[in-house]
Amino acid sequence: MVLDKLCKRFGGVVAADEVSFSLVPGKVHGLIGPNGSGKTTLLNLISGVTDMDAGSITLDGEIVTNLPNYTRARRGVARTFQHPRLLRRCDIQANLFLGIDLANRKKRLPGHSAPKLEELLEAAALQFDLDDSITTLSYGQQKLFEIVRALLTNPKVLLLDEPAAGLNTKEMERVDALIAIAVKNNAAVLLVEHSMDLIMNICDTITVLNFGRKIAEGVPAEIQSNDAVIEAYLGRGRSA
Amino acid sequence: MITKNKSTRIILLIVALALAALLPYATSNYMLRVLNMMFINYICVLSMFVIFGMTGQMSFAQAGYWGLGAYITAILTTKFHVAPLLALVGSALGTAVFVLLVGLALFRLHGHYFGFASIGVVMTMNGIFQNWTPVTGGANGMGNIPQFGIGGWECNSDMSYFYLLLFVVVAISLITELIHRSSLGRSFMAIRDNEIAAKCMGVNSYFTKNVAYVISGIYCGIAGSLFAFLSSYISATSFIFPQSVMYLVMLMLGGYNSIAGPIIGTTLLALLPEWFRPLQEYILLVYGLGVILLMVVMPDGLIGGGKKIYEHICKRSGGGTGKNQTSNGVG
Repeated sequence: MVLDKLCKRFGGVVAADEVSFSLVPGKVHGLIGPNGSGKTTLLNLISGVTDMDAGSITLDGEIVTNLPNYTRARRGVARTFQHPRLLRRCDIQANLFLGIDLANRKKRLPGHSAPKLEELLEAAALQFDLDDSITTLSYGQQKLFEIVRALLTNPKVLLLDEPAAGLNTKEMERVDALIAIAVKNNAAVLLVEHSMDLIMNICDTITVLNFGRKIAEGVPAEIQSNDAVIEAYLGRGRSA
Repeated sequence: MITKNKSTRIILLIVALALAALLPYATSNYMLRVLNMMFINYICVLSMFVIFGMTGQMSFAQAGYWGLGAYITAILTTKFHVAPLLALVGSALGTAVFVLLVGLALFRLHGHYFGFASIGVVMTMNGIFQNWTPVTGGANGMGNIPQFGIGGWECNSDMSYFYLLLFVVVAISLITELIHRSSLGRSFMAIRDNEIAAKCMGVNSYFTKNVAYVISGIYCGIAGSLFAFLSSYISATSFIFPQSVMYLVMLMLGGYNSIAGPIIGTTLLALLPEWFRPLQEYILLVYGLGVILLMVVMPDGLIGGGKKIYEHICKRSGGGTGKNQTSNGVG
């Protein structure tokens, strides 16, 4: 997936200013930046939740910029939300099957089969009764559940919006394991996250946003020593 | 545990059906008429269950669609002498097409705005029923609608209508339950619970809402047609906004998370006025207070509330009869 010069304004606020980068199958791309730098907006633009003002998105050589979000989902763009969006009045089974329905709905790629439910639930350490209401899961479990559901759709591109926020250490390890499954299944993962441990450990490339603008891109080691990034997070030193 | 539950459910269903089938022999003719009307209402409540209970779109226009189904049958049978069964199909299809057109326009609106617009629809429809005299008979209504019949068999008594309606009601309930469990039903419920998440899971919400609306329209069309045959006279005063509200109350009373809700809700609201007939003047008061109490105490309706109480009791008694908590629920 290639993002080319995505732009989005909300009134006078520039949420995305000519942001370009590519997502590579089987690689994890980190997206970081201070609060309000436009990370979630970018995910909304890619998944089609928000319409963009300018720019283009290409998926497997096809332009998907003008496709509505359900079509993008059927083409293989899956996402999770910062606060899990599950079907709160339905049981766990209906929630899971929503992912399986989508997997059945889209054309399967040869040699690219969806991960097994058992494998995903084990990686997420989720145990439940299918007839139980989804609200019997804790917040952390719901976030893991949402990733499991996204993976069940056999995505080409997986967008994760702060999957580790609000989770305990054990649950964060589970997020790690689920991302590993996504990578193994050759999905291109875009990870928005504030937990630097997670970002630095599992990302192959990192893009840094500030005020909707891309200020740096590189492997984790480069980003850690990048002056512009340090300035964006910590402010300019007096002596400099 | 699941299979055991399923088989007890099926046995219960068969027993209930057998009892229902014997009912006409045990009740008065008057009661039979009440039950027949209850069946008609139940079909409309099911239409509310599909569009509001499952899909979360509050449509107040159902009474109007019910009326449209009735008028189509009345016009087809009295003016064009169409066979009753064909008129029934005509009502279902005609209502479906009309509801599709309304849905295509109104589902550009979201949430409450859709609900408000649907009130406009039922009022407009009632205005047309009331005033388009050459076609609908205007304030005089339409009479002399023939009896329902297929081939040589004719529905000529309350008892034969009872069995006809029972058959239709069971068929529509089964279809609704199948939808409820299908991927289509899941996409309905996904829209109800979280439209953005639904879209991100590949659900075309505009299209899917229209599908749900057309299904609900077909139900109303069928109910309307059967109502026309049953009462042989129809007038615009039946197809009014408060009737839609009543369907909604019936649905909320039972609960809208499963098909058992509409069954319980419709039955109670149909029979309560009969049981409490001595309280005639106070019935609306009781009814109104009941709705308020219900929403405060059991927002999920009698079925939802009953389930909660049952689970609570299970937990209290040590969870022995409660849920099997350790199964990891795969397959």
